[in-house]
Amino acid sequence: MRLQQILEKLIEQGATYCDIRKEVWNRTSMTLKDGDLEAMVQGDERGAMVRVLYDRGWGCVGTGDLQKLEEASERALLMAKKGAKYKKEKTGLADVDTHTESVKIPMKKNFMDVHPEEKLDLLKELHSFFDEETANSTDLRYNDSLVKKEIITSDGSHVKMEIPRLLIYLIITGKSDTIQKASEGVGSTGGYELTERAFDKAEVVQERLKNLLKAKTPPSGKMSLIMDPHLAGVFAHEAFGHAAEGDLVSSGNSCLYGKLGEKVASEIVTIKDDPTIDSYGSFPFDDEGTKARKRVLVKKGILNDFILDRENAWKLDMQPNGGARAEDFRVKPLVRMSNTIIEPGEMDFDELVEQVDKGVYAKSSSGGQVSTVQGTFQFNAQEAYLIENGEIVTPLRDVSFNGFTLETLQNVIGITDEMQIGIGHCGKGQTAPVGDGGGHVLISEVTVGGRE
Amino acid sequence: MSEKLLEGTKKILEYFKKRGLKGDVYGTHDRNISYSVMKGEISDSSEYEDIGFGVRVIKDGRIGFGYCVPGNEEEGVSRALELSKLSPRVDINLPTKRDLEAVKTYDESIKKASNEAAELTQQVIDGAGSVAEDITPSRGQLNIMFGTKVVGNTEGVFFSEDASMIEGYIAASLPLGDTSVIASEFAHSRKPDIDFYEVGVKGGSKVDSMRDKTSIPTDVPVVLNPSSLSMLLWFGLIRAFNGENVRKGKSFYRDRLGEKVAHDSFNLADDPTQDWGIGSSSFDDEGVVSFPLPFISDGVLKNFMYDLKEASKSETESTGNGVRSSFKTPPGISDRNVIVKGDEISDLCYDRVIKVDGVMGAHTANFASGDFSVVATPAWLVEDGEKRGRLDGCMISGNIPDLLESIEMGDDYKKLHLSLGSTSLNMELPSARIGKVTISGK
Ligand SMILES: [Zn+2]
Repeated sequence: MRLQQILEKLIEQGATYCDIRKEVWNRTSMTLKDGDLEAMVQGDERGAMVRVLYDRGWGCVGTGDLQKLEEASERALLMAKKGAKYKKEKTGLADVDTHTESVKIPMKKNFMDVHPEEKLDLLKELHSFFDEETANSTDLRYNDSLVKKEIITSDGSHVKMEIPRLLIYLIITGKSDTIQKASEGVGSTGGYELTERAFDKAEVVQERLKNLLKAKTPPSGKMSLIMDPHLAGVFAHEAFGHAAEGDLVSSGNSCLYGKLGEKVASEIVTIKDDPTIDSYGSFPFDDEGTKARKRVLVKKGILNDFILDRENAWKLDMQPNGGARAEDFRVKPLVRMSNTIIEPGEMDFDELVEQVDKGVYAKSSSGGQVSTVQGTFQFNAQEAYLIENGEIVTPLRDVSFNGFTLETLQNVIGITDEMQIGIGHCGKGQTAPVGDGGGHVLISEVTVGGRE
Repeated sequence: MSEKLLEGTKKILEYFKKRGLKGDVYGTHDRNISYSVMKGEISDSSEYEDIGFGVRVIKDGRIGFGYCVPGNEEEGVSRALELSKLSPRVDINLPTKRDLEAVKTYDESIKKASNEAAELTQQVIDGAGSVAEDITPSRGQLNIMFGTKVVGNTEGVFFSEDASMIEGYIAASLPLGDTSVIASEFAHSRKPDIDFYEVGVKGGSKVDSMRDKTSIPTDVPVVLNPSSLSMLLWFGLIRAFNGENVRKGKSFYRDRLGEKVAHDSFNLADDPTQDWGIGSSSFDDEGVVSFPLPFISDGVLKNFMYDLKEASKSETESTGNGVRSSFKTPPGISDRNVIVKGDEISDLCYDRVIKVDGVMGAHTANFASGDFSVVATPAWLVEDGEKRGRLDGCMISGNIPDLLESIEMGDDYKKLHLSLGSTSLNMELPSARIGKVTISGK
């Protein structure tokens, strides 16, 4: 049975809304550890998910067997009917423009045409770039994936897209009085041409490790903080972006609930989440078939928008903005970020540093955690330096920060006029490729916790 | 038992034979049903069914991986064979045919439970909501999983096993002025024997006890609940038992086998043969028959863990710790069903302590030194067994190997299953009381 017919049948049986998302994946991944190929894997898979809304209940069924799609659709309807019985609160889907379109994110050099041996040679070349004195252990990873998606909805959208993504991840460790680790990823949507950027990153990551190996433990307490663009982006993503996810807002799981139009940050802060730029978290349509567009979450300090799929837009009486993303055909789309960016400001880096009497300059993230309900965050920098009297003095390691998100955003007093984006993987039960970036950001006061 | 899975596995083994290859197949057929909770209600239900095969080819000592789905098994083998040409020589010895001792991992009544998943989810919601008017079960999830895994190789191994699991999670929130506090509770089991209403009540009661705030004492011991302890052990300790880290000098336990590394009563083992253990299984994902592997016994360091490949490099044998996170990923070294035991003190909050129910930032523990720094939330000051108020922004730092020397363990054992990126953590452990930590915060 064709996809369209399955949808028609579901509507005939009383479904309020339904859609099908069919995906074909092709992936290559390899790991080179200390110069030796640890593993190289290639494979493909295909599958689809049927989502059915019946009255107020949702049923979503994913299958790796496309022959069983009709069966899956019947099961989804059954689950939706059952769900409707348990639900008191009404639900709906905000209207969107329908599209019949086919989009390919271009690859200048198609990675599907590159022999695995060439990919392996690239990792080997990267390995030999690292100086053994500094990096006595290396863990280098290459991943590419091409997904062909087809999304068809009962209200008339039918989009097809091809999204190629490439990622190279460099992890190196070295030893002094302790063992230190530095890592950096390079990647985006696009083709094999992206690998050209890997050598610049290798240099960055090697410099970072050198500094970590001679670094000292940080001071703790309240002080100023300068975040580099990647860390600033991660902060915007972790501390703020998650709280701006429509499902968390509409269900009262966000400290931003009811604050639209209010001042939530210093007036120099503008935060965007933009799937349309050229970066790792980009996509042309979201996984409900809604055309992707830029969301300005904070405009000059004022809370301006949330990340919204169709259902949560309906609940909040707002416009959907392409916020639904699913990891693959096995799972339903959730409200997710894409590329989260702190808009560049007007200062230059030296001006930021000059303003700091005592503080920390922190670069790149090694992970963080947030509570969107309580509006708290905790995260760690990979690389850091002590700033004293307007000068960067000593390298630091194991630097972590925590605080209240909204309080911290009010304390932003300077942003540089530049734009760099790093890459990341966001976890929310499912993994999503994302970008995080912006300019350097100066925060007047944050709690720094060291391990003394 | 899944016919398609068995057929596909046999087909791949035949292709191996036909082409004179050595190798193994790891096949899984899974069904997963989940119900989500948002704002006190079931928001949606979803499920998926999935079959796939991970193929490992060994030709002239070179290994290649591929994966495939039913119908393109031959392609999976060809792909793996093609990639094997790029691999360096590694001598791995595939396990030979042996008898399996069955481990209990599957309960047939899981199927009945899967048809009642909506009712069970509603029970969690009702439980959390029953605690107080102003408490909302704001987010939650109920998952039911069951399926079959098969490992077959060209040395005659052909093992298959069914497994089931049910888990429930609820986060309850409580508005306090212009902010909110939140606490969560969860339960995991191989069998549908969980009292979900009670899970909800526990989550609701936790947040109910967070109404009052108090200031953070800095000179008291800390009592970690099982899940907080599991996070610290996972990120700050268990990697030190990994044979590859040991060989490469990245483990703080290197060269310390047989030495005392923890409190006399402290025991930590990987035991995949425990009946109904969340990570239990009678064989590992490379077809090695399971056995219990103590890491620390009565405070003494006993063993490290190996998969087939690392065993070959370290010139030892696999300890049955070859684990694949899915058919799409090659095996790597991982713990499977960790059990932590101590002297089973029934009340660890016997004087003035900070009681911790969750930690943020455990993943940033320094893997080489075991240093950690986490924010404890939720956390309370407890005096004479009574919660005196919640602690906001309480930061705890220390060093895991150091604090094991004086760790005291409780008797409130809990089974945990956590998915962390592409790996998962399965543990059974009680609460622990630790000193030797630095506490900071307002
Ligand atoms: Zn995230």
